[in-house]
Amino acid sequence: MPREPERNKKGDRPAVDAGHAAAKAMSEAAVEPTTSSTEADSGEVFALMGRFESPAEITHACEALRDAGYKHFDAHTPFAVHGLEKAMGLPPSRLPFIVLGGGITGLVSAISFAYWSQAVDYPLVIGGKLAFSFQAFIPIFFELTVLFAAFATFFGMWGLNRLPTFFHPVHTYPSFHRASDDSFIVSVEARDPKFDMTKTRELLEKLGAREIGAVEA
Amino acid sequence: MARYLFPRWSNKVLPLAFFFGLSPVGTAAVAGAWYYGGNKHLEVGYQPRQPVEFSHKLHAGDLGMDCRYCHSTVERSPMAAVPATETCMNCHSKVRTDSSKLLPVRESFATDQPIPWVRVHNLPDYVYFDHSAHLAVGVGCVTCHGRIDEMPRVRQQMPLSMGWCLECHRDPAPNLRDPALVTKMDGVEPSKAVPLGTGMAKANGRTIQPPLHCSGCHR
Amino acid sequence: MSDLAMVQEDVPGKRVPLVLGKQDFHSVTESVAGIVEGPTPHKWKLLFVLALSILLILLGSLGRLVTKGIGVWGNNTTVGWAWDITGFVFWIGIGHAGTLISAILFLFRQKWRTSINRAAEAMTIFAVMSAGIYPLFHVGRVWFAYWLFPIPNQMGMWPNFKSPLFWDVCAVSTYATVSILFWYVGLVPDLATLRDRAKTKTRQIVYGIFALGWRGSHRHWLNYERAYGILAGLSAPLVLSVHTIVSFDFAVSIIPGWHTTIFPPYFVAGAIFSGFAMVMTLMIIARKAFGLERLITMRHLENMNKVIVATGTMVGYAYAVEFFIAWYSGNPYESFALMNRAFGPYKWAYWTMVSCNVIFPQLFWFKKVRTSIPAMFVISIIVNIGMWFERFVIIVTSLSRDFLPSSWAYFRPTIFDITTFFGTFGLFMTMFLLFLRFLPMVAIGEVKSVLPAADAHPHHDDDGHDAPGSEGMSKEPVHAA
Repeated sequence: MPREPERNKKGDRPAVDAGHAAAKAMSEAAVEPTTSSTEADSGEVFALMGRFESPAEITHACEALRDAGYKHFDAHTPFAVHGLEKAMGLPPSRLPFIVLGGGITGLVSAISFAYWSQAVDYPLVIGGKLAFSFQAFIPIFFELTVLFAAFATFFGMWGLNRLPTFFHPVHTYPSFHRASDDSFIVSVEARDPKFDMTKTRELLEKLGAREIGAVEA
Repeated sequence: MARYLFPRWSNKVLPLAFFFGLSPVGTAAVAGAWYYGGNKHLEVGYQPRQPVEFSHKLHAGDLGMDCRYCHSTVERSPMAAVPATETCMNCHSKVRTDSSKLLPVRESFATDQPIPWVRVHNLPDYVYFDHSAHLAVGVGCVTCHGRIDEMPRVRQQMPLSMGWCLECHRDPAPNLRDPALVTKMDGVEPSKAVPLGTGMAKANGRTIQPPLHCSGCHR
Repeated sequence: MSDLAMVQEDVPGKRVPLVLGKQDFHSVTESVAGIVEGPTPHKWKLLFVLALSILLILLGSLGRLVTKGIGVWGNNTTVGWAWDITGFVFWIGIGHAGTLISAILFLFRQKWRTSINRAAEAMTIFAVMSAGIYPLFHVGRVWFAYWLFPIPNQMGMWPNFKSPLFWDVCAVSTYATVSILFWYVGLVPDLATLRDRAKTKTRQIVYGIFALGWRGSHRHWLNYERAYGILAGLSAPLVLSVHTIVSFDFAVSIIPGWHTTIFPPYFVAGAIFSGFAMVMTLMIIARKAFGLERLITMRHLENMNKVIVATGTMVGYAYAVEFFIAWYSGNPYESFALMNRAFGPYKWAYWTMVSCNVIFPQLFWFKKVRTSIPAMFVISIIVNIGMWFERFVIIVTSLSRDFLPSSWAYFRPTIFDITTFFGTFGLFMTMFLLFLRFLPMVAIGEVKSVLPAADAHPHHDDDGHDAPGSEGMSKEPVHAA
């Protein structure tokens, strides 16, 4: 939704910057709001980073990058900014299918284990009921389905995200620690066919990035 | 201070730890617990030193005495009685009366104090086991106790675990013999048994149905 | 503090903001992460020593139980379950509030949950740990506790799948596992915040390891949000199933007073009731101690009070229905069990239960009481006492009157019953204090997402609820005052 582009000019920023507390001002002072000096003067460039200060700004920046034809770029935000996936042109998560698989595995293994252990391996007559009294096993089927689905969600999510990745080039960006606090950082990766050191930088500048810097691979 | 950045190799630690640490160690732990945690490992081979060096090999093997001469209640009661000192003295008042090995036996006889034999085959208190029932259907001594006639000092040969009991309770036929030959240690053919489904067999002219329900043994 | 006073005047049709004062992203980070990063408060140290000593009492009591045997408790032949299962159901019930707040309120898009869900989830996990002590140790020989699980063993046998006790093992262990996964998933972005702010290398490494290298990538957030929603969706029926199955432990038996179909909803309502009371007690202390009045506002507390009065009334209804059914069914044993409960030797416990659970929470109908911190603190503690008595009354009164009058007995706890139960509070407090000290007690990222500034498209107005059909965690603004 590339609406209201004029809103995001520096003069007319959303409410977030209006009431900055003293603490904010202090952390601001540490990082000059200019182009940072971490130009990659040696080694291969991994990405060009641009720091923004509000969800509206980064949404706008991602829309612009998407419209400019960039594919390999990412937004690093302190919380999930709603609608950013549309701005970045990302497909929906594939996780639900993994969870479905996990849930079905859980249900099938619960039923087959119950059948094997209660009716095949050691059938015990209790209360005159059939060995495979499946009505009485439903709580267990349910719990195991939930357990497997939850494991599938947990491990599936980290798997899709390729985490844990303790070292990633973007971590080397000096202001990157603010991406988990109050900054919204865009990284445009050098492997993108559209990537060009000067042109990409100009685009980020035009979009109103507070700082721009490159990180090495 | 400067932000700590994890080194590049740190990304490989988890997968490497998983493939070369957790999986082999986990497999070893499970396999180890499986093998070393069971009765087969923990109980088989228990061979305590007895107060008298009584040799079953000599008495039951070489001399060919029947088990029931000493364990006289085994056909009639749940317990296969450990013989009283008097049973020993039936012979040993005449045989080897001056052997130093038999000193505790003579002492026991004189003082009327029992010999403190150490129990080898011991089931938990919550298990009810009846020797007479097993002998009556034709389960031989050797099935549970092994070749006692070859043991100078008695050693536990079988795991005596619940799973081991159940193997036979579910499929009794291979371990049934003519009830007249229960004490014979070798060279006995199993009875011609007709399996009648899980845990049932027709052998020795009767239907044998060992209990598989909880209160069969835990009463 | 004018904005705190303002909460009292709730304008109809206009919701009070979820976060008070002029808050921006950085000030939210500061106020939550600051708690973890600051020097250890002396009060915390004092409380921690106290909690540890109570934990030692628990360890001592359990040590005595293991070395001596289950007989150190007052359980006897007729009353085979007593304080042990009372304590188990008490703690597992308390755990339910955490999952309810984090999962069910999430699914209903109740954004007021964001300030309290983290602490409530932590409370769930620690309550389930405390609960787990009882089934583990009341088997007597704790080294055989693995028999509870379907693990191959030398007996060649499996747990009885027809038994509610095995359903209970499955339900509680699944619940504990899923709660921990859910909690940890929620924690990771906040751990990354702590990692990025940490001043010492040790903290950077330790938080860094647990943050898994989180870099806030929106490609990750997309899967993350989906995972969070799915885990919430899985937890919601799970939490209802857990106390339902705990109630089956009783309802599937044939003991008069237990064998009733109302038990599952009755237990679930009671669990939520006691859980919210416990969250209330802890939150009132924590927000005061750590100065979080702006994040955990009166609106949060008032909403929780409303849940307490609603579930308390449900529990009261269940008490009444039990009597009605006992009379209506014409079953003399059931009638006897119920009359014995209310007028027999345990009538003191029964009436304590009724007054704590049904009568006192009714005070929350009055807005004055609902918004008074001292009043809600006292009532939340009363509710917890009452809910402990509820389980005691259900378990002990029914068991103490067997079908054979010759086996009737009166249960008296021994000192070890008391110290074991008291000691579980030590475990709970120790864990909770460690949590407060080392982990963010408020979900930093989620609170930021409900700030007015979090909206990427600040163009339309709403009342704090999502428009129908909006997907995922909404970032719509909540009214700034």
